[in-house]
Amino acid sequence: MSVKTTDWFRLDNSGKIFPEVSNQRETNTFRVQVALTEEVDPDILQMATLGILDRYPMFKVRMKHGFFWNYLDYNTKPFQIQKMSHEVCSALNPRENNCYLFKVLYRNNLIAIEMFHSLADGGGVVMLLQSLVYEYLKLKGYDVSPDNIIKTKYERPVEEEYEDANSKYYNAKNRKHVPEQRAYRIKGTMLPDNLTGLISGTMNTNEILELVRSKELTMTEYFAGLMMHVIYNTQIRYRTHLKGNQAPVKIFVPVNLRKHFPSETLRNFSNFVKTNMVMSRDDITLEELFDHAKQEFKNGMTKEELIRKMSENVAFEKNVFLRFMPYFIKRYALKIGYNMLGMKLNTMSLTNIGKVVFPKSMEPYIFDVTAAVYSGKYNTVNCAILSYRDKLKISFSRSILETNMEREFFRHFTDKGIDVSIESNFVEEFV
Amino acid sequence: MKHCDKCNITIETKQQYCPLCHQVLSGTGDADKMETYPDYVSPRRMILPTTKKVIMFVSILSILILIVINWAGFDGRYWSLIPIGGILYFWLLVRIGVFSRRNIGFRFASLTVLLIAFMILIDFEGESTVHGWSIDYMMPLLLMTCNLAISTTIWIRLLDYRDYFLYLLVIIVFSIAPIVLVFTKVVTVTWPSIASFGVAIAILLFIVFFFPKSIKEEFKKRFHA
Ligand SMILES: [Zn+2]
Repeated sequence: MSVKTTDWFRLDNSGKIFPEVSNQRETNTFRVQVALTEEVDPDILQMATLGILDRYPMFKVRMKHGFFWNYLDYNTKPFQIQKMSHEVCSALNPRENNCYLFKVLYRNNLIAIEMFHSLADGGGVVMLLQSLVYEYLKLKGYDVSPDNIIKTKYERPVEEEYEDANSKYYNAKNRKHVPEQRAYRIKGTMLPDNLTGLISGTMNTNEILELVRSKELTMTEYFAGLMMHVIYNTQIRYRTHLKGNQAPVKIFVPVNLRKHFPSETLRNFSNFVKTNMVMSRDDITLEELFDHAKQEFKNGMTKEELIRKMSENVAFEKNVFLRFMPYFIKRYALKIGYNMLGMKLNTMSLTNIGKVVFPKSMEPYIFDVTAAVYSGKYNTVNCAILSYRDKLKISFSRSILETNMEREFFRHFTDKGIDVSIESNFVEEFV
Repeated sequence: MKHCDKCNITIETKQQYCPLCHQVLSGTGDADKMETYPDYVSPRRMILPTTKKVIMFVSILSILILIVINWAGFDGRYWSLIPIGGILYFWLLVRIGVFSRRNIGFRFASLTVLLIAFMILIDFEGESTVHGWSIDYMMPLLLMTCNLAISTTIWIRLLDYRDYFLYLLVIIVFSIAPIVLVFTKVVTVTWPSIASFGVAIAILLFIVFFFPKSIKEEFKKRFHA
């Protein structure tokens, strides 16, 4: 059965929690952005967006309150693209955008989608953005073809794209809850007015691949290990006796489960692996952290463990008491549950979206691709990585003023003679 | 391209310093290149909050004074409830009626219920010796007005009629209250209650006959567990 634009959707397992734990500072939004080789025409982008929304009924929705759960109901109001402002991954203001749960932004040669996490994860948004850029270029009159990479507006949406894959693959017998310790929090001067700093560095994909392979690591393992080292050097080293520094540093690395389970869903379907180490020693080396990251990935990525983590969440939601609790009470239960399972248990998140591929015919029009995740009160610095052709782009978003981590991270590569070119939104100019 | 000699990075910007280490950049930028990200635009500070604070302060102060006066010279009547109800009703009227982003069905329904409650309060706590007009006339007539108002809204804005169904159904259910009061002989003047109930039933029948699928769907959405 195909999906109509007048359907409604249950929130998926991960989506249920975000409405209750989001606010102006913890926005739970993320951005994927394409830089074209030419200036963006807003009128054509608006047309392209409207065309694409009919292809993706899943995104043509607004959040509504039900008696037991919130849900996504189709949105009859028109969608409006917006000019990019200085805000990065800011909270979605229902008044501003007819209650849609994502924004399409443009500026000069940039097209960006900012998405509320209840609706989809990075994988889903990349697909949406690919379709949007395809449609845009098509409307501009360029000769581009979808090549089975892009979902175009001419094909009909299918049910599989909307499934709640977590509930499908979970296993009620494998759902042991493993209690966790609160994680180390990166300290700094909070930026006022919920501002977010954004610094991206572009490096050559092949150069980095060569580097990480020489250490017999994957890219994500390398970056996770390096990130721990950067946190250690800029925050903890030489102050190891402080009480706050006894908490383990945990890097939260989302895992795209579409690569591990046969699902085509556009909705949330990711899990995580975490590095976890108390760094109150004076002699931690980078090599040691690489080994640690490698080990954590090996343990965390087994099918057994992925299903356990998935089931732990689903079991919480399928709990009979919780299910039939009216929503106005349930929201508090969700908040408590989230505090046990959520945010404070991570030091930062490191999202590797992986390789973003466009059809050959579209490549001449696309200069680069960038991703960014919001930063808030607990995760004050977050990092998102993706690669497009030979460009590897690493973006740090931060809710603090200091840039020590970014500095040390990129200096690690320039010290090895690797070229890094930087972009920044110069948030320090805002305060 | 500009260059930071300390971090050894390149950057294209009009700013003079390196975003990583805040040292001065060397080299000259391309004058034609635009900055990647937009400049800061200071958010408009709303004047409303201060006004809101003043009104809130005055309201709370008046409520406290009313309670104190009523208590000091207590004569068996809680007359202060009426002006307090008035203040609260005014607040909710502004909050729900003017500033709420909720849908109009919700606003109609909740304001009607509040107004009825306020009318009953005046009726039974007021000085007048004639009681009962609030449930004789006000309650059924207000419910009827609300029923018609939501129905008309649905009629005019047919596009998103499903959004208002729930509230219409709630008000229809409430319209049973007057008829119950008729049977229990609490209400002395019966025609407004009967008329209001009749209108509610007529609207309900209309929905059941012409939009049966929509109601079912709306129920499924609102009550899925
Ligand atoms: Zn520098």
